[in-house]
Amino acid sequence: MNKIVSLTNVTKSFQHKTAVNDVSFTIGKGEVVAILGPNGAGKTTTISMILGLLKPSAGEIKLFNHQPHEKQVREKIGTMLQEVSVMPGLKVREILELISSYYPNPLGIQQLIELTGLTNQDLKTRAEKLSGGQKRRLSFALALAGNPELIIFDEPTVGMDITSRNRFWQTVHQMAAQGKTIIFSTHYLQEADDAAGRILLFKDGAVVADGTPAQIKSRISKQSVSFFVDPEMSLEKLYLHSEIDDIYRKNNRVYIQSSNTDRVLELIFQEKIGARDIQIERGKLEEAFEQLTSGAKEAI
Amino acid sequence: MKTFKMQCKYEIIRVLRNRYFVFWSLVMPILFYYIFTNVVNTNAPDKAEWQAHYLMSMTVFSVMGSSMMTLGIRMVQERSQGWATFIRITPLSDTVYFAAQMIGQSVIHMLSITIIFIAGALINGVSLTALEWIMSGLWILLGSLPFLAIGTLIGLMKKVETAAGVSNVIYMVLAIAGGLWMPLEIMPKIMQSIGKWLPSYNFGNGAWEIIRGNMPDWRNILILIAYLAVFMLLSKYIRRKQEAV
Repeated sequence: MNKIVSLTNVTKSFQHKTAVNDVSFTIGKGEVVAILGPNGAGKTTTISMILGLLKPSAGEIKLFNHQPHEKQVREKIGTMLQEVSVMPGLKVREILELISSYYPNPLGIQQLIELTGLTNQDLKTRAEKLSGGQKRRLSFALALAGNPELIIFDEPTVGMDITSRNRFWQTVHQMAAQGKTIIFSTHYLQEADDAAGRILLFKDGAVVADGTPAQIKSRISKQSVSFFVDPEMSLEKLYLHSEIDDIYRKNNRVYIQSSNTDRVLELIFQEKIGARDIQIERGKLEEAFEQLTSGAKEAI
Repeated sequence: MKTFKMQCKYEIIRVLRNRYFVFWSLVMPILFYYIFTNVVNTNAPDKAEWQAHYLMSMTVFSVMGSSMMTLGIRMVQERSQGWATFIRITPLSDTVYFAAQMIGQSVIHMLSITIIFIAGALINGVSLTALEWIMSGLWILLGSLPFLAIGTLIGLMKKVETAAGVSNVIYMVLAIAGGLWMPLEIMPKIMQSIGKWLPSYNFGNGAWEIIRGNMPDWRNILILIAYLAVFMLLSKYIRRKQEAV
């Protein structure tokens, strides 16, 4: 039993709307999970409930088999919230020392510098005088200060430039390699695809897909076989096979959609239609994402 | 325990680095003290007593201000900048957080009291018995509780600007109407009867009695306790309402 996070039938309703609707999932030790979805899909509400900042209206949330707000849970989690938080009046080093003192086994300041890219100059700067990027690095350092087993990031890379973004993901992978469990929310598809081993796709407050990026792609967006063929050639024979979902022509290429592309290849050769330049195309996550979430835009 | 000490230490450092605190709680009261006991001729019959009296007024003025403004505005700042939320996710317990703030604030008050008392002794050679110095200092320290409660009320506001504006107005009204700037006796009758019921007057009067060799009036103590109770209940009630969303 290595369940780090478990949500059972969790619902959160605000006065006029239900932000999260009957969500259940468990996250095991060492997983890197992306909570992906468009704005307003319930990502931040879900994360706030996992962190114990909001109480679910119904259902149960357990972290390390305890309630989220218990002290022994808090000692094992680190977090970076969407809103950059600074404590005015203190220098970066002082803030790091203060927050580290809350935890039983904190990382040292030197380690935090190496992991987050804060500089020695930053350490001497007062929190309120930091630039946006520096504040982000400070937040990252604060998330790691207690050497947490579970790290939760809400939209971590918003406001980061490419260099800090790369550095951020590099550190996250390093943490994952150490067996830490990582949950992050994002609306960048690419990020979820690149960084996560598992994606929880949120839409309208519910999880509409849960799996590896590859699984989600194969489940949602169909694969297709495409090729050039003599325009005179009739393709009617192919329609007779039930494995084929759809056939269409685009830019002189014929596209055959099917979940079983191996079988399609077999049929093409069986029927001797003279296909040239055959390609198998896997649906992009980008497309899957749009397919799944396009309904949300109409609702607004 | 280490956490608690660290938390207290940094709470104090933060206040001392706050320029508004240094200006409003140290520079202004000392400046006023100098002006109203040396530059402006107040025709006080007993000069030494007036100098001691006004020293108490200004110390009370200083501590009252930092109780309401430093604490209140900082609470709003921490909440509006997301720091309060972040702290809730750390293992730091609410009790330790609250206790450290109160202790930090008290240390700051002791410091202000000491500095202003020393300024009084240096500027006008105010001399009180050791017991009077200690008693009046303690009175001011404890009497600040209702004002700290006002501070937590101000701390419930949403914006730093509103909190700063509102607390400034309350501060000035309480200071003037409570007789901290000029004695209540020289004000119109109606102002006097209102002033006697204000927390600021009762706060000041305890200290004024002490330097005249008396004990603070029971009336002063009871009124301050009543204000403390009212402000604490109010603050609790509003907080519960805010959390209900």
